[in-house]
Amino acid sequence: MTVVAIATFADEGSYLRARVRAVAEERRIVGEWLPYAATSLGAGDGEQGIRAAAIVIGLIGGAALMAVTIWSAVVAYPFDAGGRPVFSWPAFIPAPVEFGALCAGFAGLVMLFRNARLTRLHHAAFDFDEVARAAQDSFVLALACDMGADANGALALMATAGAAHSRLIGG
Amino acid sequence: MIAPHVVDSGRRWTLPLIATLGDVTEAVAAPLMDRRPGRAWWLSVGASAAVTLVGAVAIWFSLTRGPGLWGNNSAVVWGFPIANYVWWIGIGNAGTLISSLLLLTRQKWRASLNRMAEAMTLFAVSMAGIFPILHLGRPMYFYWLAPYPNSMQLWPQWRSALVWDFWAIVSYLLFSIMFFYVGLQPDLATLRDRDGSRGWRRMYGVAAMGWQGTPTQWRAQERLHRTMAAIAVPLVCSVHSIVGLDFAASLMPGWTESIFPPYFVVGALFSGFAMVVLIALIMRRAMGLEGLIVPDHFDAMARVILAASIVMGASYSAEWLSALWSGEAADLRVVRFAFTGPYAPFYWAMLIGNVAAPQLFWAKPLRTSTPVLIGVSVAVLVGMWLERILIITNTLSIGYEPSFWRLYAPTIVDFLILAGTLGGFVLLMLVFARLLPVVSMHETRKLLAEERG
Repeated sequence: MTVVAIATFADEGSYLRARVRAVAEERRIVGEWLPYAATSLGAGDGEQGIRAAAIVIGLIGGAALMAVTIWSAVVAYPFDAGGRPVFSWPAFIPAPVEFGALCAGFAGLVMLFRNARLTRLHHAAFDFDEVARAAQDSFVLALACDMGADANGALALMATAGAAHSRLIGG
Repeated sequence: MIAPHVVDSGRRWTLPLIATLGDVTEAVAAPLMDRRPGRAWWLSVGASAAVTLVGAVAIWFSLTRGPGLWGNNSAVVWGFPIANYVWWIGIGNAGTLISSLLLLTRQKWRASLNRMAEAMTLFAVSMAGIFPILHLGRPMYFYWLAPYPNSMQLWPQWRSALVWDFWAIVSYLLFSIMFFYVGLQPDLATLRDRDGSRGWRRMYGVAAMGWQGTPTQWRAQERLHRTMAAIAVPLVCSVHSIVGLDFAASLMPGWTESIFPPYFVVGALFSGFAMVVLIALIMRRAMGLEGLIVPDHFDAMARVILAASIVMGASYSAEWLSALWSGEAADLRVVRFAFTGPYAPFYWAMLIGNVAAPQLFWAKPLRTSTPVLIGVSVAVLVGMWLERILIITNTLSIGYEPSFWRLYAPTIVDFLILAGTLGGFVLLMLVFARLLPVVSMHETRKLLAEERG
C-alpha cells in the first residue's frame, strides 16, 4: 500500500540534503513546497515560454497599434497639422512602444498562470498543515513510499537530513 | 540616528532581532492580521480623507465651472495641472524604476523596500492621471484620446504629446499593477495560510489564486518577475522621456533641449527616492519594522539621492550653458528671468532643495540621521515640485512674443486640488498599510537565508 512521507525543514540546507538523498535512493518525490524562490532551484519546469510569449506578444501588440496609428493618420483621417507630413513616423513611435510593453507584461502574466497552474483555489495539497507552513517559514518535502520498512526508511532519511517534523499520510 | 541601540552582528540588511524565516513573516504579517489599527492610524485616515474631500470639491467646482477657476492664463496655459502631473508621474515612475532596476542589478537590499516603492507608483500614477484629464478643457470627452471606431470618423492626433501621455499613463499604470501583483502573490498565500480572521484569509486566498509555493511556481514567478523588470526599466524611462518630450517637442525657449528626456528620468528617480525614504521611515516606525528596514537601507538611498542631485545640478548647468553657447536671445532671456525675475525666489529655493540640501549626505552620519533624512527628502520633494512649476512658468511667462508675456499666479482652487491629491495619496498608502504586506516577505526570507549563510 502506498503512503506519503511528508516532512518540514526549517532551512534550505536540510531540505536540500533530504532531497539529494531521496533522489539518490530513487524515491518518488510527490510534492515540494518552499517559502521563497531558493537559489538552489536552478533552471527547470515552470520557466518555459514566458520570455518568448512576452517578446512575441509585445512585438505583435506594438506592431498592431503602429498599424492602427498609420492607417488612421494616413488613410482614415489625414489631418494637416501645420503642414507636417501625414506620415509623421517619429511621432508615431511613443504610443506603440508603451502599448507593446503592456502587451508583453500581460502575455507574461498569462504564461505565469498557465505554467504555475494557478487559479486552482481548491487543491488537495491545501488539506495538509505542512503546506500551509511552507508559506510561512518551512520547506516541505513529500515522498511516496510503501507502507512498512520503505516508509520507515523515508522518514529516517528525512529525519537524518534535519527535518523539524515528519509523518506518514494515508494507509 | 536610526536604531542606535541595535548591535550589528555582521548582517547588513537585516538585524539580529529577525532570527528565523518565521520572524520575517511575523514582523510583516502580525501588524496586519493581529493588531487592530491604532488611534494614530485612524487620525491619519480622518485627516487625509478630509483633505482628499476638499480636493474633490475643488475638482468638482473646476469641472462644473471650468478652468477659469485656476491661475492659468492665455500665456501660461499649463500652470499647476501640468506641473502637478509631471511631479506625480515622476514620483510614480521612480517606484518601478527603483524596484526593477535594483532587481536586475541584483541589489539584495531592495527586498525590504520594493513593495512600498511599487505601491507608491500605483498611487502616484493614479494621482498624476487626474491632471491631464482636468486640463483637457472638455474633460467629459477624455475618452476621445483612445482610438475607437466612431460615427464622426475622428481619430486621435498621434502627433500630439497629449496622446503620447494618454498611452504612457494607461500602459504604465496597468503594467505597474501587474508587476506589483506578480511580486505580491506569494505573500498573499502567506496571509491566506496564517492564523487570523476567516474572512480576511478567504479574501487573501482568492487574491493568491491558488499559489502553493512549489518549485515550478517559484521558477515561473522568478522568470516573469525578472522579465517584467527588464521591460519595466525601458518602459519607465520611455514614460518619463515622453513627459520630457511634452516640453522638448514644443517650440518654446528653454524647452527645446535634447537633454530634457534623460534629465526628467533622473529627476523622477530623485524625487521618487526622496518619497521612498519618507514612506520607509514612517512605515518602519508605525509597523515596527526596525529589524527589516535598517540604517544601511537609508544610507544606500541617501547615496542615490546625493548622486542624483549632482546629475540634477549638472543638468541645470547644461540648461544655462546651452543658452549661453547658442546666444539665442529668447533662451538667454529665460535664464535671466529665472535668476532675477519675479519667480526668482522660487528658483533659488529649487536649487537649494534639489542641489544644495542633498550635499549633506556626503557625511556618513547624516545619511542615517532621521531628522536629516526627513529634512532633505522634504526639501527634494518641494524642490522637484518647484522645478516642475518653474519649467512651465519661466518659459511660458516670457516666450518669443513680448505681447504675450504674462505672469502666473495660482488660485486657491489650484492649491486645493494639489492638496487633495496629496491627501488621496496618503489615504491610499494608509489603506495599503492595513490591507497588504508593506514588505515583501518571500524576498526578505530569501535575503535572510542568504545573509545567515
